[in-house]
Amino acid sequence: MSDYSVVGKKLPRVDAVEKVTGAAQYGADVHPAGMLYGKIVRSKHAHANILSIDTSEAEKLPGVRAIITQDDVPSGRRVFATDKVLYLGEPLAAVAATDADVAEEAAELIKIEYEVLPVVQDVMESIKSSAPRLHGDETKDGPNRRSISAKIKELSSDQEDDNSDEIRKLEAELEKYSDEVYYNISAETHNEAGDVEKGFAESDIVVEDTYVIPRVHQTYMEPHVSVASADSSGKVTVWASTQGPFAIRSGIAGTLGIPLTQINVIGTTMGGGFGGRFGVIITHVPAVLLSQKAGRPVRVQMTREEEFLDGRPAPGCVIKIKTGATKDGHILARQALAFWDSGSVSGASIGSTIRVRGVYKIPNIKIDAYGVHTNKSGTAAYRAPGAPQAIFAGESQLDDIAEQIGMDPVKFRLMNMREEGDSVPAGGSEPKVGYKETLEAVADAAGWWDREADDNQGWGVAVGDWTNGCGPGGVYVSVHEDGSARIFHGSMDITGTDTAITQIIAEILTVPYENVTIRRGDTDSAPYSTGSGGSVVTFTMGNTAKLAAEDARRRILELAAERLNTNEDNLELKDGAVHIVTADPPKSISLGELAAYSLSTTGGPIVGKGSFARQPSTPALAAQIAKVEVDPDTGRTRVLKLVASQDVGFAINPMAVEGQIEGGTVQGYAWAMMEEMQYGENGNINPGFVDYRVPTSADLPTVESVIVEVPAPNGPYGAKGVGEPPITPTLATMANAVKDAVGIRVTELPIKPEKVVEALKNNGHGA
Amino acid sequence: MTKHPVSLKVNGDEHDLLIEPRKTLLAVLRDTIGLTGTKEGCSTGDCGACTVIVDGKAVTSCMVLGVTASGKEITTIEGLASDGELHPIQQAFIDTGGYQCGFCTPGFIMASKALVDENPDRTEEEFRFALGGNICRCTGYTKILEAVLQAAEEIRTSS
Repeated sequence: MSDYSVVGKKLPRVDAVEKVTGAAQYGADVHPAGMLYGKIVRSKHAHANILSIDTSEAEKLPGVRAIITQDDVPSGRRVFATDKVLYLGEPLAAVAATDADVAEEAAELIKIEYEVLPVVQDVMESIKSSAPRLHGDETKDGPNRRSISAKIKELSSDQEDDNSDEIRKLEAELEKYSDEVYYNISAETHNEAGDVEKGFAESDIVVEDTYVIPRVHQTYMEPHVSVASADSSGKVTVWASTQGPFAIRSGIAGTLGIPLTQINVIGTTMGGGFGGRFGVIITHVPAVLLSQKAGRPVRVQMTREEEFLDGRPAPGCVIKIKTGATKDGHILARQALAFWDSGSVSGASIGSTIRVRGVYKIPNIKIDAYGVHTNKSGTAAYRAPGAPQAIFAGESQLDDIAEQIGMDPVKFRLMNMREEGDSVPAGGSEPKVGYKETLEAVADAAGWWDREADDNQGWGVAVGDWTNGCGPGGVYVSVHEDGSARIFHGSMDITGTDTAITQIIAEILTVPYENVTIRRGDTDSAPYSTGSGGSVVTFTMGNTAKLAAEDARRRILELAAERLNTNEDNLELKDGAVHIVTADPPKSISLGELAAYSLSTTGGPIVGKGSFARQPSTPALAAQIAKVEVDPDTGRTRVLKLVASQDVGFAINPMAVEGQIEGGTVQGYAWAMMEEMQYGENGNINPGFVDYRVPTSADLPTVESVIVEVPAPNGPYGAKGVGEPPITPTLATMANAVKDAVGIRVTELPIKPEKVVEALKNNGHGA
Repeated sequence: MTKHPVSLKVNGDEHDLLIEPRKTLLAVLRDTIGLTGTKEGCSTGDCGACTVIVDGKAVTSCMVLGVTASGKEITTIEGLASDGELHPIQQAFIDTGGYQCGFCTPGFIMASKALVDENPDRTEEEFRFALGGNICRCTGYTKILEAVLQAAEEIRTSS
């Protein structure tokens, strides 16, 4: 398929042996001499005023070495609650002790007096005036009030005409929308293109639904952990399980007022992140504070229960969505109003609501999205943050329209997909993306065109789009006297990215893959690197690695020209040696010989440097098809077939790329079918794997992955970020398959058996 | 808290230890003996990351008290490769890409080893069901199953 010898190949990963032998060092495996065990004291209420915090009993417990509260945070940034807790499990204090069990005992001895307040956990309740307020009384206007207010403002500023009559009329109209004053709003975003009202008026079919997507946890297998060691000179070393060591360094510096140069963050092998492992205050800041106070290294490690109470999961949301189409299948308008559950702080991915537009030519779009405070922990990114939720609403409704029109769901999508050069609703024009190729590939692979279904079986299709991010990074590569190459950089491996970087450098330097090794430095030693999230790493660090290898190649050719007494134009780097192209008999010099020779030159050793920040990225599409069977008596849905295709640009390591597609698809399946953080009157009620079910191998069949390669102009070898797209369509894929199987449109995830049974009963089944 | 004398045979090495009765086998392996290859993912016996083999059976070591493991023979992930040779299951996980972040991998490999030792003739469906006590969040299980089936095949044909 390609002329490459290393990239594009299914090679074993560079970290293979350490990962299968237990040698890889994760955060909790770090154990410096004299280490203490930290424990965070957490709120027992979801909303309460704090009357007092009494640490005196805990201080007396033998083995306790430090206790900290918000008083110990110099910047005042909220690390621990002081006067009020906003969710169950919010940190109030932390202790460090000589033993993990002693730390836990001490945490229990800290006495907190609460004055319990009313709790709000549902976004649609929280926006009402009757809801308890988390942060004062701030309100925002809904979409109708916003546009009427804007008109009033415009008319009032008109100096020439008397608009008072019209203004009065509008003010009266504003009153009609008094229920559109939203409370507890943390953020808002609004987008508009074309004229949706006109679009709906011209449509033959207009469909309107409300979709509800639950809050789910990234559920990386390694709970948050941090080991901090503050020495007497003020230097702080932090072993952190994080996606972004450099961001952790600046976060600690800002929160604790420590100079950047006095903080060294050592990223430990990451036990999964999925976007949820960037937070600085969850464990890292408490660990540093405890270590500073105790004068000894301290490990703060979350339990799984703490992860559910105080991790930063993906926001749930309620999306009201309306779509208009002509009867011959052209989508004319789409409007969405979304309320995202941002928890106690702002930060839910509300901007992703725009993804309801999908990859379709929709001339008229209007999006209004709000973040809403509730008595839950804050949220964070989870694999294509916000996209699975928005795309679930968009792609579910699209299927209903296809059904009403009487069009095949795949053909309906193909017909409406944007093409190269089409204008994009948010601005600009569409680049070449394999939208249609990817959907056609999954349809062909799944056998969509001649699909068959027995009773209670059905097929579902959906597509989801995402574009990888980009960020700054640096890479060094050295060539050694034995002909091997060594890469040095500062980016966290996110399940295969170190391997991709290594393959790229081996390809360019023509060094055998197994002779290229890669080492990640800490923030004291390595060049700056952007965080490993947003599917940035292969795109960013791949480009950086290419630049570094090309820089090294320049030096190699320079040395070879000198050594072989010829012009660089006559030279070719191939198979680990530099050859004189024109020489007969052939003449060449190996990389090892050149590296040895370089040590005695004036120019010095072979060191290549790559530094890169950004280039425009190209969107990627994931398309999936599921075949399911629903048991009408139990409501259980069994997946018979799950096929996932993705336009990856170019697969630098197809094995790793397949792994991303399979893993992301199963996470999407889980969000659709089983996962949901549940909240009772006093906060989260399912903080563990018994009640918060994630899929096991017993739940699913093999996921079939199909790689589509439409190169990204700026990606290394055409590669796009591959990690995030595969989760984006699966929620809708599953819901559409269930709809096809038993005729039930589930608008509220997850599609639990009891919901299906209930809906079937309402549809007359078993009556 | 009073400590109790405990003798553990871990990966062939004898360990005579004094441990508190509240310490789990997982804590003893990781914190006392220093074998950190076995992972702690939930501490409630639900995720399987801490799976080790005790007298031939796969157990979640967070659910076993260290004192009750006295006198037993324990194999952890660190004890699987011998003489620098990876065990066929370890090699199969590498060949198929059956791991990503790697945190669940030691548990999966130990659980798979116990299953394959017991009966390598299981079908994919049976392995899928039998491995239902281990959670992996990265792979979606497709490549893990490929790895286990490859290893089972190899063990079947070599015995």
